[in-house]
Amino acid sequence: MTEITYRQALHDALREEMLSDENVFLLGEEIGIFEGSYKITAGLLKEFGPRRVVDTPIVENGFIGMATGAAMLGLRPIVEVMTINFIILAMDEIVNHAAKIYSMFGGQCPIPLVIRTPGGGGNQLAATHSQNLEVWFAHVPGLKVVAPSTPADAKALLHASVRDNNPVIFLENLALYNTKGEVPTTVAPIPIGKAKVTKEGADLTVISYSRMAAVALDVARRMEQENHVSIEVVDLRSLRPLDYETILASVRKTNRAIVFEEDWRSYGIGAEIAATLQEEAFDDLDAPIKRVASLEVPLPYSKPLELATLTGAKQLIEAINELIPRRRRASS
Amino acid sequence: MSEVTMPRLSDTMEEGTISHWLKKPGDEIKKGDTLAEIETDKATMDLEAYEAGTLQEIKVQEGETVPIGQVVAIIGSGAAVQQPTPATTTASTDGNGHREAATVSAAETSPQSNSPVVDGKSRTIKSSPLARRMAEEHAIDLSQVQGTGPNGRIVRDDIEDVLEQRSTSPAPAPISTGEPAPAPKPAAPPQEVAALATPPSIQPAETEVTKLSRVRMLIARRLTESKQTIPHFYVSSEVDMTDALVLRQTLNADIGDDGVKVTVNDMIVKACALALEKFPEVNSSIKEDQLITYKHINVGFAADVPTGLVVPVIRDTNIKGVRSIARESKALIAKARANKLAPTDLEGGTFSVSNLGMIDASSFIAVINPPQVAILAVAATRKQFVPVDGQPVIRAMMQMTLSADHRVLYGATVARFLQEVKRLLQNPFNLLG
Repeated sequence: MTEITYRQALHDALREEMLSDENVFLLGEEIGIFEGSYKITAGLLKEFGPRRVVDTPIVENGFIGMATGAAMLGLRPIVEVMTINFIILAMDEIVNHAAKIYSMFGGQCPIPLVIRTPGGGGNQLAATHSQNLEVWFAHVPGLKVVAPSTPADAKALLHASVRDNNPVIFLENLALYNTKGEVPTTVAPIPIGKAKVTKEGADLTVISYSRMAAVALDVARRMEQENHVSIEVVDLRSLRPLDYETILASVRKTNRAIVFEEDWRSYGIGAEIAATLQEEAFDDLDAPIKRVASLEVPLPYSKPLELATLTGAKQLIEAINELIPRRRRASS
Repeated sequence: MSEVTMPRLSDTMEEGTISHWLKKPGDEIKKGDTLAEIETDKATMDLEAYEAGTLQEIKVQEGETVPIGQVVAIIGSGAAVQQPTPATTTASTDGNGHREAATVSAAETSPQSNSPVVDGKSRTIKSSPLARRMAEEHAIDLSQVQGTGPNGRIVRDDIEDVLEQRSTSPAPAPISTGEPAPAPKPAAPPQEVAALATPPSIQPAETEVTKLSRVRMLIARRLTESKQTIPHFYVSSEVDMTDALVLRQTLNADIGDDGVKVTVNDMIVKACALALEKFPEVNSSIKEDQLITYKHINVGFAADVPTGLVVPVIRDTNIKGVRSIARESKALIAKARANKLAPTDLEGGTFSVSNLGMIDASSFIAVINPPQVAILAVAATRKQFVPVDGQPVIRAMMQMTLSADHRVLYGATVARFLQEVKRLLQNPFNLLG
């Protein structure tokens, strides 16, 4: 067990997958000579050579289409899209091709493709470079979408994604790259589609994923210490397939839930989870499901406005204080 | 052992409603403790304990109305504490016999016999799905549970309160944690509703039935009485408020943080009081064949409060300065909003002012507040072009309409009274005299 960064965990998983399977190769913008915009691929060009670490032109639809074709022919490409904002250029390749080929052509060829890409705002990169678009992909059958919040999960899920025979959108987050966590020396892949209760609690459930799952865990621990409220945190880890079983079990226990997400509120993960909870656990609900998300505007560049727009710990604490049942509130 | 009776809290009070018990059986009571809140025809007031001891029994449940003098609770040594008893037994004031009867009726009310009622009523009570399920599991009648969730929704907390109370209470009585026992629900089952001449489009599910509070019932009765028995007539006038607004601005400049700002309404109240000095017949009442003219001028003003309409009164308005009126009216409005008006705040009015100017009413007429004979309805002040020396000039104009009782007042008197009010407001320095 060693403590490493989220960035290092991703790097290690890539390297290990490349070592264990020669069909695995990387492609993306500036991942080779420049070693990646966020240095996830540092050293890999030197180690594996330009045949397996491919620098591409700035043409997302081109290289994602190329990766899809390579996957059809049996290779296992891992594409890095510099940020999720640029993935929009390749929507046709992902949604109309990668997600559909296996089922449209009688299962003749699976598409073992991984697209790694970070989302998230908060770095004054303004409206077009700070988005959280994962829900677009979580909506599409034929794709898998994973969104780990810790280095250990990032490593385990990247292993699982590379070995999965379906196209996987692997969501990272700019603000997570430098976070640290314990990672076992040998990591077993975890099945895609399993959420994790990262903290047990009794009074309400906070459901989240990616960076917000880390924030939620921190808030829950602090509030337990300071306010003596018992909050359960569910880290979804995978948005498609979504682990309804774990979510339902938690809410059946606590009877109240908040969905905490960095993206916009309308039509989001929270909407999907709230709808499912009322369908499947109506008689267990003691209050309407709350959604805590970012304000519905294109993210401003100005720092104060950016801070006011993005959701975070403050908004979550407010929501918890509103939703926590009266009898479970600390009297002190 | 001592009996706590429904006190007489105002001259006109005949009965009172226990709106909320603040103590429960078994509680230690000190002399002067507030036992309950009582809603009278005028206001909500505290029921104080005159004896120390243990609250032994509550005889009148929340939401019930009883005449003054009736026993509402027993304070004793604490030997025999009784849980809240069903409403049907409250008429008796005989301590011992009554308690026996209560115990029997409580024992008969088994959880089983209650549950069909729960099903029938829970549809119209706001409650969370979990609370409904728990209530069903534990045979709790949701109509007996006070919801503390958003919009009074019954949530798990409230059911847990009931369960906790059950486990600590010796008697198997049905538990009442709060609000009115007489259920304020649509009384008629669906088929009976259909039998009534209701429009077919209005289904029971599309209506919400709320029981009127005593205050609102009283307001409804008085206004109906007023409109049906008093021959109202109306005279309107238009006032140029430009100078009054300038004076008000001057009065409010540099008053500091703790100063009280004078409102337009305060100036109108003062103007009415001064005009009433000149027209005592407007400051009067009619009683059968007698005209009663008041020596004091007490102007009431209608206050907009969530619970209904109240008209707090500023006594001797004519001899008070505008600033004093402002201070008093501000305090009265605060009390009214907090539902803390005492009967003395509402009694003795001889004339009323109703002002909807701040809500942009262009003109309106008010209903007389008996036994008074006149009420002034004040509308919004608007900038208008008016001819001054043949030229259009923008002035701040305000509509006002006096509703008068034609049994006492006649058109010419009322018009002259209005003319005087107008003169005072248009020469506002007269208000400072």
